[in-house]
Amino acid sequence: MRIAWRGAELRLLLPALLLVPLGFIVTHIALSGTFEPGPLELALGYVGLFVLAHLVLVAFGHRGDQLILPAVGAMGGIGLIMLNRLPQDLAGTRAFGLELGMAETQLLWFAVGIVAMLVIAIGLRDHGILRHYKYSWAAIGILLLAGTLLFGYEVNGARLWVNLGPVSVQPGEFLKIVLVVFIAGYLAETRTLLTSARMRIGFLSIPPLPYFLPMLALFGVVMLIIARLNDLGTALLFFGIFLTMLFVATGRRSYVLIGLLLFVAGAFVAYQLFGHVQLRVNVWLDPFADPLGAGFQPVRAIYALGRGGIFGEGLGQGLVTLGGGLTIPFVHTDFIFTAIAEELGLLGAFALLGFAAVLVFRGLRIAALARDDFGGLLAVGLTASLGLQTLIIIGGNTKLIPLTGITLPFVSYGGSSVLASFIMLGLLLAVSHRSAIGTDEEPRS
Amino acid sequence: MIATNVRRLGFYLMLSFALVSGSVVWWQVLEAPALATRADNPEVIAARRSLLRGTIFDAGGQVLASSEVIDGLSRRTYTDPAFTHVIGYSSFRFGSTGIERAFEDLLVGQADPNPLRQLVSDVLDRQPQPRDLTLTIDRRLQDLAAAELGENAGAVVALDPATGAILAMVSSPTFDATPISGDPDVAQEPMDALREDPSEPLLARSRQGTYVPGSILKVFTAAAALDAGVITPSTTFPDQPRQETEGFVVDGFPIREHDLGGVEPALWPLSEAMQVSSNIYFAHVGLELGGEAMLTYARRFGFCGPLEIGPPDRALSVAPSFLTEPADGDCGPTSGDAELASAAFGQGQAVATPVQMALVAAAIAGDGVMPHPYVVRDVRPHSENGTPTDEVLERFTSRGGTRVISTEAARQTRAAMVDAVNGELGRAYAGQADITLYGITEDRSAGKTGTAQLGGEQAPHSWFIGFAPAQEGGEPVIAIAVLIESGGSGSDRAAPIAGRLMAEYLAMRGSGG
Repeated sequence: MRIAWRGAELRLLLPALLLVPLGFIVTHIALSGTFEPGPLELALGYVGLFVLAHLVLVAFGHRGDQLILPAVGAMGGIGLIMLNRLPQDLAGTRAFGLELGMAETQLLWFAVGIVAMLVIAIGLRDHGILRHYKYSWAAIGILLLAGTLLFGYEVNGARLWVNLGPVSVQPGEFLKIVLVVFIAGYLAETRTLLTSARMRIGFLSIPPLPYFLPMLALFGVVMLIIARLNDLGTALLFFGIFLTMLFVATGRRSYVLIGLLLFVAGAFVAYQLFGHVQLRVNVWLDPFADPLGAGFQPVRAIYALGRGGIFGEGLGQGLVTLGGGLTIPFVHTDFIFTAIAEELGLLGAFALLGFAAVLVFRGLRIAALARDDFGGLLAVGLTASLGLQTLIIIGGNTKLIPLTGITLPFVSYGGSSVLASFIMLGLLLAVSHRSAIGTDEEPRS
Repeated sequence: MIATNVRRLGFYLMLSFALVSGSVVWWQVLEAPALATRADNPEVIAARRSLLRGTIFDAGGQVLASSEVIDGLSRRTYTDPAFTHVIGYSSFRFGSTGIERAFEDLLVGQADPNPLRQLVSDVLDRQPQPRDLTLTIDRRLQDLAAAELGENAGAVVALDPATGAILAMVSSPTFDATPISGDPDVAQEPMDALREDPSEPLLARSRQGTYVPGSILKVFTAAAALDAGVITPSTTFPDQPRQETEGFVVDGFPIREHDLGGVEPALWPLSEAMQVSSNIYFAHVGLELGGEAMLTYARRFGFCGPLEIGPPDRALSVAPSFLTEPADGDCGPTSGDAELASAAFGQGQAVATPVQMALVAAAIAGDGVMPHPYVVRDVRPHSENGTPTDEVLERFTSRGGTRVISTEAARQTRAAMVDAVNGELGRAYAGQADITLYGITEDRSAGKTGTAQLGGEQAPHSWFIGFAPAQEGGEPVIAIAVLIESGGSGSDRAAPIAGRLMAEYLAMRGSGG
């Protein structure tokens, strides 16, 4: 074990983390009306977690990307500031004799997630291992999906949750990772065999069967998710991840186009068949038609965005309440971006989008620098997953696309989401580390 | 290797981030001003719910409506149901009506009556300052009018003919607006009960009810004809005595006299015709005046279109009154002489609101100048203790009036109306409106009864319009219109109420009240 200093990471991490205690203090002053800092244990705990993660990476001589952790630290920090500002009884943990508020629970999950990230980033010396077991991953994925279908229960209309004793889990969050690993393995293998094979129908070149069949299979899974789990967001995300990876593996826009056409056709059929899909689309087209009924969620979110304006209303000074409750629905999960945009304004929203963009482009950089196809495709898939999820939920919050209930990675409240996102970071760091160390130390695959 | 494809992917993802950023800019910057003022904006709803509304006082400084904020919810309490159709209600669920609506921004303090202070307040982003309003109505007269109407459906409108200040404006039946103005979650049930009530308590009969005016419209006909010069006070119609018994056939339509109650028909000039309320006489007057001239005068008096109480930007609306079949919101042309002759004595297609008829009386009392009515006297800073603050931010006063007929024509009409109440023949009809019956000794009242026939089995509306003091040299201080829906004859029902109210008001003024 050799120490490797990570100066850039530390220099970027510290100012990003300083935001968190600062945000807590501002929130406390605004909410209490007294000029006191208020309790800072959570904020300092958050700073400590990331500093510790940095030190562990240094101690183990990790040479993975140094911008990812600061970007995630800033995103999670903004999220934690907002979760701390919101009423703490929106969510929380009451298990194992513990009684934690929403922000405390989120910090706990950050701790769990960071540990998982470190274990994977440091422990996974050769990500090629993952590739060898790709069909096992597929089997695990199918089990996760089947479990959700069989035992899932509904929250907010979508059947995504599975109850495991005291903890509720969203298998979909972990299914995402399994899906990425499997597709990366599959494409890395077929890619070398079949780059030249090509069929044509008219102007469209049809993907050869080894690409086309898994596309169809995944398409089937996606439609199943829409029909049975009532979850448009996850379906869109899964298919988006697959098409992105297929594009990178083959470099063919037409495959993506075909995939998109399939998705649109499938979505159209779903629109015709399922009432809940129709409702979502109609509400998307004109939420103000029924501002207190079907359009309630998007309308309330849009008003919050408008209230924020460019500079925001200030932490603790926005978020209208009506009849004792906040007017933004699911403000700690699906609509946390809206709450941030209201209190921190367009500037805060852009900062958040900027950090997400940094994360995405560092992920793509890791993919481009990867020394093997599997590693590259894995990094692309993980990055696409985090990036598309961010785009889909913020696009939904701002009515750019129909609203779907998925989380904003590292920002929304939710243990499954936080843990899964950190596992993906760990994998990215592992791929990054492997390309950073010289060829002299590791054999080329 | 896949690096090239990754770079291309980067481009598409960058594009997507730009697109999403654009949609954030759309709502937060471009659409934000439009969103801020939409009524279903929860911020607007919440702000309204928690805003303290100013107090509304009567002319004597007594509280009529007040608010307190309990648990972030502003609750409005109304003390006197007699004022419901003036003040209206302010409900989170059903919006606001009446003065609550017209003065909404001042009551919640979102506007300052002083434009300079308004600007300062905008710049400093100050908390809204609720304002209190004082009405021109004295609660004592309003309550008395409500008591006089009692259980009857009807309306009383009284105003100062010199200034247009409303002195009483009552609509019956009324209701307590407090339950529908409080907690929006429990307001539905009382509102439903009001909506389903067959007596229509929600209708502001004083302003929004339109009724066949009957004989009270003869005041207008006389005034218009005198001003136009087609009659003088001594004008008579040779055929009239005969037609009193035989009927007067106009365009094949027979006009009949009402039951004269034993009075022998004679060749009556204006005063006598007014006293006995001769339909035949006024049918002749109408025909002499002609349809076009009559409608010209009608529009001058405020008929044929909506009226307003108060300054135009803060007005209570008054439904339009018509003399002929309405067309495009205006009085249509008279269909022929039969309609014209009927309209001249207030039948046919004529309909009028109590406010309109009170204004006709006021125009005569005001020597031909019809005042612009208003009901809010002043705006003051909010008082916490239930008595108006001394500082007055804005005072509403008379906005003058509109000359509708000459002073001479008004004086001649007024003389006939004095006779209608006090004259030998008139006493039998409008004598109950004589204020000397109710303790007034120095002054006399003027007026005209109306018994508006509705056709079929329906009992006629009972009307009275008048003013006091009306004697030669007297300066009228109150003009009034009283209506009782299907109340029977004007003489029996409306006239005594008007007499008592006019007498009470003169007594209130005399005692310095």
